[in-house]
Amino acid sequence: MSAIPTRRYRSHPRLRLNLLRVIVLAALGVLLLRLWSLQVLEHGRYQVAAEGNRVRQVVSPAPRGAIVDDRGNALAVNRTALVITIDRSVLARQADSGRGVYTRLAKVLHKSATELIIKTRLCTRHISKPCWNGSPYQPIPVATDVAPPVALAIIEHPERFPGVSADTQAVRVYPHGTLAAHELGYTGPVSQAQLTDKNGGYTANDTVGLAGIESTYDKALRGTAGVKKLAVDRFGRVSGELSAAAAKPGDNVVLALDGGVQNLLEQSLVAALANAQKHGKPATTGSGVVLDWHTGQVVAMASVPTYDPSVFTGGISSANYAALTGPSSNDPLISRAFQSTLAPGSTFKPVSLSSAVASGADLNGNYACPGAIQIGNQIFHNFEGESGGFMSLHEAIVMSCDVIFDQFAYNDWLSDGGLRNGSGPYAPPAEIFTKMAKSYGFGRDTGIDLPAESSGWVIDRVTQQNIWKQMKTTYCARAKTGYPNDPDPAHAALLQRYASEACTDGYLYNGGAATMFGIGQGQYLSVSPLQLALAYAAVANGGTVFHPRVAKALVSQDGKQVTKIGPAVASHVPVNPDVLQYIRDAMLDVTRRGTASGAFAGFPLNQIPIAGKTGTAEVEGHNDTSWFASFSSQYVVVISLPNTGQGALFAAPVARQVYEGIYGVNRPALLPTPVTALPKVIKP
Amino acid sequence: MTSLLPGTRPPRSAYRGPVTLEPLSGPGAASSRARERHALSLRQVDWALAGSVLSLCIIGSVLIASATRQYQLDHHLNPYAYLTKHLITVLVGAVLAVFVARFDFRLVRAYTPVLYLASLAGLAAVIAVGSTINGARSWIVLPAGFQLQPSELAKLALVVGLALILGRPPNAGETGVAATPGGRELVQALLLAAVPLVLVMMQPDFGTAMVLIVMVVGVLAVSGAPARWVSLLVASGVGFGAAILKFHLLKPYQEARLTEFLKHSSVHTSSTGYNVQQALVANAHGGLLGRGLFAGSQTQGQFVPEQKTDFVFTVAGEELGFLGCAVIIILLGIVLWRSLSIAQRACDRFGTLVCVGVVIWFTFQILINIGMTLGIMPVTGLPLPFISYGGTAMFANLVAVGLVENVRLRAP
Repeated sequence: MSAIPTRRYRSHPRLRLNLLRVIVLAALGVLLLRLWSLQVLEHGRYQVAAEGNRVRQVVSPAPRGAIVDDRGNALAVNRTALVITIDRSVLARQADSGRGVYTRLAKVLHKSATELIIKTRLCTRHISKPCWNGSPYQPIPVATDVAPPVALAIIEHPERFPGVSADTQAVRVYPHGTLAAHELGYTGPVSQAQLTDKNGGYTANDTVGLAGIESTYDKALRGTAGVKKLAVDRFGRVSGELSAAAAKPGDNVVLALDGGVQNLLEQSLVAALANAQKHGKPATTGSGVVLDWHTGQVVAMASVPTYDPSVFTGGISSANYAALTGPSSNDPLISRAFQSTLAPGSTFKPVSLSSAVASGADLNGNYACPGAIQIGNQIFHNFEGESGGFMSLHEAIVMSCDVIFDQFAYNDWLSDGGLRNGSGPYAPPAEIFTKMAKSYGFGRDTGIDLPAESSGWVIDRVTQQNIWKQMKTTYCARAKTGYPNDPDPAHAALLQRYASEACTDGYLYNGGAATMFGIGQGQYLSVSPLQLALAYAAVANGGTVFHPRVAKALVSQDGKQVTKIGPAVASHVPVNPDVLQYIRDAMLDVTRRGTASGAFAGFPLNQIPIAGKTGTAEVEGHNDTSWFASFSSQYVVVISLPNTGQGALFAAPVARQVYEGIYGVNRPALLPTPVTALPKVIKP
Repeated sequence: MTSLLPGTRPPRSAYRGPVTLEPLSGPGAASSRARERHALSLRQVDWALAGSVLSLCIIGSVLIASATRQYQLDHHLNPYAYLTKHLITVLVGAVLAVFVARFDFRLVRAYTPVLYLASLAGLAAVIAVGSTINGARSWIVLPAGFQLQPSELAKLALVVGLALILGRPPNAGETGVAATPGGRELVQALLLAAVPLVLVMMQPDFGTAMVLIVMVVGVLAVSGAPARWVSLLVASGVGFGAAILKFHLLKPYQEARLTEFLKHSSVHTSSTGYNVQQALVANAHGGLLGRGLFAGSQTQGQFVPEQKTDFVFTVAGEELGFLGCAVIIILLGIVLWRSLSIAQRACDRFGTLVCVGVVIWFTFQILINIGMTLGIMPVTGLPLPFISYGGTAMFANLVAVGLVENVRLRAP
């Protein structure tokens, strides 16, 4: 009985069987451990991959809001254009991967198949534009603004063009061409940098504002794109809609700017330049600003030369861009009204008068106005060497006596210690002139609702020190080496002399420049026409310096939600009301019997009193800049025409034309009072 | 009586022993078969094993239904066509298993050469007239949409073939001292495996080849072959594998499949890498409790390729989560554990080695298949026993379970 089991069991290698048990358990144990690690510990890491697998976004752009003027006239709107699009996923399912479709489509569109393929390939880290940076589930535009017959030829033959369709797409248009181009700005495709900015809220293929109002109010204008989240399977087939947010159209922007006044201003500037050129002046640029001095709102602002913002729509070609920015282009993209600065000349005198009174000058005193005065080793002439004898400050403004204001500024410089600079055993300089200039808004950004403004400069003693510290190495090097690359030897010699002076004496606060500051000249002062207009608005309104505003409201598409863009006060000038009244009175006489009386001859000043001040700023190597800064009971008008001549001859007549248009002198009035109500409809 | 195994029952008087094989057509055959049948009872069936296999088949059917329903719906086909076909397969396989379990034990031995030669014929036929699916010529397409995969039958044939050779009564005779296979048995076993191995490699189906190799080495090892032989075999196998990779004897895609899992990177470039990545994503997406049946976005979105066959485990991974997967692995563990217990208490070496062969076969496929969906094993086209979609494999697996139960039924 026992023999059989003994033999049998001997033949069973128990140890090896048990080893096999251990191996089996180990194998299953390894699987369970790995399962725990993957499913429980690494669950979160793969969650994103799982979502990315299955969710696809389709973005439908929101219609961009319109920009309208104060009366509702459309300045920037959308036009629908026929766009041919390609659906990649449909083409990919073709037997030949869509190659045939590309070829046939290229023929119809008169493009090369390669171009179409390049346009529809997906952007990656290694493939840069031209390529498609949107969702592969979105139809990709390959031809914009095609003729309706071409679109018909495509959509009537779906069997020849599977996956190709004709859609309408909004294209930005500026119905009035160049009108207010610098203020409206332009749009273009979203940049990679903007897409990278997580807070920007941009999506691929957005159209974004790149300049002007289009840029400043881009967020409101753009609205919110509609986003549909689709669940898809491995083959890209849509299995359901996970969420859908409808596109919220962008708000319309209502401007304070008046299309009529703007047009008049632009036309007048162009005509003035043509006139100046006719008189042999090499003038090529000019600008003007019309503000409502009660609110700081910009009624019109123009700069010549200008451009048509439409060329930027959908991305500007490099040839067009070169034409707008090249050396011979005269920089039409830059607004001379707020993006460039220059010496204001005698239009600065109201500010100087404020400074003189602040530094103790008697408002009612009489001051000598000789033909010239000598300050240090420099001789300062009156304008064209005229001598006016003793006169009041009133007359100094009316007749524009330079020497009186030179003297005030020089005295101020002297009482601050003259050349003395830096710290020492003496009272700190009062610097009344530069401080007053700053309080009128010069030397700083105006805060206008347009991008890239120039702040100009007001250089006081500390600033001068800092500049010199930064620049002295350069000055001293130039003093030695000169300017060998300058083609004009005389000019090069002059520059070398300046460099030499700056190298040795640059740390000193220059008396000559400080003196010329009083008459709006010299290297210590540079202003933009917009800044000057704001300073004049302050004189007119009793001392309030506004942040100027081109836009006055954002209105939702349905018109129900209105966000007003109210006046914003920047500062108040520290000038007594009676001084401001004194200045206003003096300026009223400028047009009646002063330097601008010629330009305003025959203008109904009794019904429409105009307070003004001419300016003729000397620019080395160029003709004078002609200035006229003025205000009526409602508006400030500032005109600046560089490289022309006297303010009274060139700028003042332009201002007169603008007033005539606004108030309707011998013609229908454009805007005797600003439009306060918001427009109800958009007029094309 | 000294019993060396715990729980062994005393040998029944009906036991005739494996030593002598009665002539099948002899005069005593009928009466002995009748006695044998009489002795079989349901009480003898290993119900834990049978129940686990049945549970796995049901779970597999549900997983296959989930993996295929959305595809069928998308193509306006019967959403449960695959489920129906799979259930039929399971049913037929179950009938086969019951038949095999009740089969006369000695007849199994007698038919082993027939089964072996039949599988060789199938493998030869597949090379001659087979259809290429996923790069391997592994299928014979039959009418009415059925396919036969002879390599699955080859595994079964090798199991019984090895058991027959290595479980032969030792030449020591009644004394039974030398109960280990000798050199002759070893060579015979290697030759037995070599022929189907070569045919399988010609398809080429490296997964099955690996199973065959592991089976022959494993069964040899357990059968009591001297350790140095076994070590030598393992060493030469490893050397051979290393040489294949070293000298790039495989096609690039095959090499990629084998080596992809070693790269610990989430960026996979090859299509195999994509498969593994999607499998990992689906498994991980399930988390602890799973997304619910028919509710896994990765599964229903058909992101995992080959999901009803090789990657069926990912359906469980995503929709049933860690708990569901653990249940499957535990059920598989019960199948293996019980089979080993049956091996231990088999009435003869043949029975033991049949069970051992089956356990090695299943274990290897489970480890490779699940490990592959978890990114720790190379991608080879090995199905998951009892769960993957595929008729021949299901038949082979269930028949193997039938064999194990057969051994159990005749155990003392």
